[in-house]
Amino acid sequence: MIWLSKRKSIFVMLFPTLLLFTGYIIFPIIISFYYSTTKFTGIGTPEFVGFSNYKLLLGDSFFWVSLKNTFIILGVSLVLLIPFSFMLALLLNRTFKGSDALKALNYTPSIIAPIVVGLIWVFVLDPQMGLINILLVKLGLGNLTQMWIGGKALAPYSIGMVFVWQQLGFIATIFLAGLKMIPRDVYESSSIDGAGPKEQLWYITVPMMNETNRIVVVLVITNVFKIFETVFMLTGGGPNHQSEVLVTYMYNTTFTSAEYGYGMAISTIAFLLTMLFSIAYLKLSKSNFEGEGG
Amino acid sequence: MSREINIPSNRRWKTAGWYILAYGVTLIILLPVLWVCFLSFRTSSEILNNPFSWPESWSMENYKRAFATLDFFILYKNTVIVAIATIVLEILITFMSSFALTRMVFKSKKMQNLIQLYFISGLAVPAFILIFPVYRITIMLDLLNSYWSLILPYIATAIAFNTLLFTGFLRGFPKEVEEAAIIDGSGLYTLCRSIVFPIITPVVSTVFIFNILYIWNEFPFAVTLISDAAKYTISLGISQFKGAYSIDYGGTLAAGMLLIVPQLIFFGIFQRFIIEGMTAGAVKG
Repeated sequence: MIWLSKRKSIFVMLFPTLLLFTGYIIFPIIISFYYSTTKFTGIGTPEFVGFSNYKLLLGDSFFWVSLKNTFIILGVSLVLLIPFSFMLALLLNRTFKGSDALKALNYTPSIIAPIVVGLIWVFVLDPQMGLINILLVKLGLGNLTQMWIGGKALAPYSIGMVFVWQQLGFIATIFLAGLKMIPRDVYESSSIDGAGPKEQLWYITVPMMNETNRIVVVLVITNVFKIFETVFMLTGGGPNHQSEVLVTYMYNTTFTSAEYGYGMAISTIAFLLTMLFSIAYLKLSKSNFEGEGG
Repeated sequence: MSREINIPSNRRWKTAGWYILAYGVTLIILLPVLWVCFLSFRTSSEILNNPFSWPESWSMENYKRAFATLDFFILYKNTVIVAIATIVLEILITFMSSFALTRMVFKSKKMQNLIQLYFISGLAVPAFILIFPVYRITIMLDLLNSYWSLILPYIATAIAFNTLLFTGFLRGFPKEVEEAAIIDGSGLYTLCRSIVFPIITPVVSTVFIFNILYIWNEFPFAVTLISDAAKYTISLGISQFKGAYSIDYGGTLAAGMLLIVPQLIFFGIFQRFIIEGMTAGAVKG
């Protein structure tokens, strides 16, 4: 291979990828940090203000609301999405008539355009014309109807539910792949030792899914921080920013209010939080895992 | 005697329960989509006032209005142009760089590994942090409202995953054939095109499927970089759908259906590849 490895040809082969990657991924991260230390409204030159945007954030109640909402969605996802998708995986982990079709059908929500996912759920959650409230009224349970979206309290939970719906089949498929990797003879020898299906689930399946669990938790964390379209379609962040998540608040601050410097400070914080949570979880689960192993 | 009969019938009940549960859960998960599909054939006033009544006739009015309001030909065309250009270019350039990273001999092996790590580190970068800087870059390059404004960031965000996939795949293949070809006098271009590229064709289909769905669904970049209706992609077009006078619920729903029907058909045909490819992508990412 050395014959063809002239300096010039190596450079030619690497150049387009290097240029685009640096120009559109790495350089932007640097730019957004740079803007976060400036005051810039799109006209004139950005004025350097140091860390004062970050200081302003600390006193910005909308920022805290959007942070709280993001964490509510994260909480809903960790509490509901992970166990439910694991159960769905167990349910689909047998071969029966139509099991392949069911796997595909459950996967569908995660390939539908997020913008349409938002649209679909408007017609399920809307207090006046949404499916849930209409059904409740029809069933004579009219007093249970709620302001699922559009109110103040429930919107982040509803957005969390939509996220759970969207990701359920997808996460279940990852669990399914993990289940397939558990060697069959572990189950066989344990049933010779008299373990029933329940014991097998608790003492074999769940512990042996450790690696998969790690992947899933990191995926859920990073995906929660990416939620944008559903909020955009369901509430637009309103009323009065009460249902914003970090990314929509960043977007609205940047593009609707044209406060570019401030928006980039939010963006930087959201980015750091995603990284921090994923790394912290990986570290924690790894030390736990090794602790158990030893 | 009775025991021997009881056990199989018990088992049959269990299997039946399993079936009902699996099919029931699937039905519940699909219910929102089915509901909205049902509503898309109703008039706006029925949607607001009496959505449960079985329609006397299935009205195509919403779809007609959706077609009249949005130019679906342009939306589909723009999306397909952006998708094809993105996919062809990204496969070409990431194949070239992955070839260099796995097959060519660098002066410093460390440098080679470092560049690979540099590309793969892109997997950790969430797209939202890129939106505003990319918007600025697009203005700087005077590309706003052009296909290139979307093609360039779409390629860039695919580099990390493609590099991971291609370098992994190329490392798994022996180099003897290639060395023989070089001895026989083939140059870099012929070698890449007719000997090494065929090796990665199995993963090229994964990249293709992964990206076509991504671009079809992509919204944040599109809404930021495109404001000219003649350049709208499909997701952006649907999000901008509004009625002429009041909110047109029926029309919006029909438009939403027209966005997802092609992707559902695509999914139906390639579901095995898609599920495997997306899962592999997620697990590696």
